[in-house]
Amino acid sequence: MAIIQTIDLTKRFKDLVAVDKLSLSIDEGEIFGLLGPNGAGKTTTVLMLSTVIKPTKGTAIVGDYDIRKNPDDVRKLIGICFQEPKLMWVSTPWDVLNWHAKVCGLSTRERKRRVKQVLEHVNMWDHRRKRIHGLSGGMKKRVEVAKILIQRPKIAFIDEPTSQIDVVGKHKIWNMIRELRDEGSTIILATNELFEADVLSDRVGIMHKGKMLVCDTPKTLKDSILGGDIVEVQLEKEVTKNVLDELKGFKEVVEVVVVKSDDLRIHLNKVEKVVPQIMNLFLNERLPISSIRMSEPSLDDVFVHYTGLTIEEAEQKSKSR
Amino acid sequence: MKAILHLIEHDFRNFFRYKWWLAGLISMNLADLLIMAVVYNQMLSPEIAEQIKSYFSFFAPGVTVVGLFASAFMIGREINMEVRRQIHHYMLSLPITRLELALGRLLAGGLRGMMYMTPLLLTTFLIIGFPSLPQLFIILGALFLLATGISGVSIATAVSITSFEKFITARGLIYYVLFFCSSIFYPLSLIQTLGQEGIMPQPLVVLAELNPLSNGADLIRAFLLGNPAFTFDMIRNLVVFSAIFVTAATIAYMKIIERK
Ligand SMILES: Nc1ncnc2c1ncn2[C@@H]1O[C@H](COP(=O)(O)OP(=O)(O)OP(=O)(O)O)[C@@H](O)[C@H]1O
Ligand SMILES: [Mg+2]
Repeated sequence: MAIIQTIDLTKRFKDLVAVDKLSLSIDEGEIFGLLGPNGAGKTTTVLMLSTVIKPTKGTAIVGDYDIRKNPDDVRKLIGICFQEPKLMWVSTPWDVLNWHAKVCGLSTRERKRRVKQVLEHVNMWDHRRKRIHGLSGGMKKRVEVAKILIQRPKIAFIDEPTSQIDVVGKHKIWNMIRELRDEGSTIILATNELFEADVLSDRVGIMHKGKMLVCDTPKTLKDSILGGDIVEVQLEKEVTKNVLDELKGFKEVVEVVVVKSDDLRIHLNKVEKVVPQIMNLFLNERLPISSIRMSEPSLDDVFVHYTGLTIEEAEQKSKSR
Repeated sequence: MKAILHLIEHDFRNFFRYKWWLAGLISMNLADLLIMAVVYNQMLSPEIAEQIKSYFSFFAPGVTVVGLFASAFMIGREINMEVRRQIHHYMLSLPITRLELALGRLLAGGLRGMMYMTPLLLTTFLIIGFPSLPQLFIILGALFLLATGISGVSIATAVSITSFEKFITARGLIYYVLFFCSSIFYPLSLIQTLGQEGIMPQPLVVLAELNPLSNGADLIRAFLLGNPAFTFDMIRNLVVFSAIFVTAATIAYMKIIERK
């Protein structure tokens, strides 16, 4: 059942359309990964859904409430972890979290217990009495994430939770986000880290220039890329245009992604038949191969595949599907 | 309702983080009082001296109101900073209605002003004498209206003028006009006389008469010194001032802030 449903949700900043007639449906109890390059409109979407900023046009139903007509009711259901930590500089982590828990209606006992527990989980217990302005970027981010983990809202908007956070911290936070989902929260995870979206999300949507390009489970999206196989070729010299054209000429080759001028990802079918031919091609063109590897598509490929298209093409695709 | 209390708690915590700064400011206010009282006393013309007795007791209520003004205005500076750093997005995302948010911040600003003013008011009482209990309630009620009104002015300004530079300029302008076009430093009767003699432009005289800072200071003087005489216009002006700016700030907070 959909817990969030947007209807032509649009936000314009002067001439710029940050979110463009977005139609999006998020199911109760899922982790929905909202992916997109910088400036795609992820944060703007999250801010509108959480009633922080008003849409220019369109609306959304969050819980059972319209964000335009009943914003006060919507706010009782939601919590946000902001992309940029929103903390008063003169405050301390403990004060910030204690006050947040109080405003969100936790009882005194529950509050004390959870603030301590979560601060320990994000490794901030020892820093709880430091001034915010004396914390490192990643530490501030941990405090920001802690807010939502303490609050446990029915609907949690989490905007890039692990940017600036170290690898160990990342895994901890991912686990805590999963726990939050398992305890019954619906999670909207805005991120431009594909790996994060892939490991966490039940479904992902890829946004680009304010529009939703595709929306499905990570697996379906990966399978949807034609050419179920990928061959990664590392060359010793830069690839020539001639070779690229010849590669694209194979009927089994679906797409050639030039990661770097000497690093190619070739999406293709019937890998066992084509690989020898490809190797011959490189040999004939005197382009020595330093390594060759076969792999499966990742969300990266899905991302490049879809955002590499123009909006018009993507729209036509989603219509013809 | 609970939400309003939480907001007041929030703003009081922030206020106390500046406790040394505040202590410094209060000391400066008191030092002003002493220095100006001693120096200005020597500069008074005989007629004025007769009217106000000592500049010290005349100025003490003025300093009280100045302290109230400066401290109640601080909430605007904080909200302006929040809007500039987009920390207000956090406030707007909390399970609080916009009206509660606006009223909470307004009241917090006003109450912080009242708290800051208390030592100044006590000093005034110690110097001039204590009012009767009913008078004390009227004084506190009137000063509370003044404080929330000022808090309202500061919030409305802070939300509408986001750029820090422009906000500071606007604040300076408001301070300047309200301080000097008032009976804080000189009796209203003197300003009125200067107006009749054509020395002071009439609009400035009217401004000084309606100025809530004049009304606040003169109300204290009326009860403690008997001069100027108490009039209900003082209360009425404060009620109108407070009502206008509480409404302005509420509208600003409810309507404008979501567009930032
Ligand atoms: N307050 C604002 N005023 C003007 N333009 C804005 C404002 N907020 C966002 N934008 C613009 O809207 C577009 C979308 O921004 P948004 O922050 O939603 O992107 P995003 O997908 O979250 O990007 P990122 O991955 O960098 O966080 C951008 O072009 C941005 O410049
Ligand atoms: Mg963003």
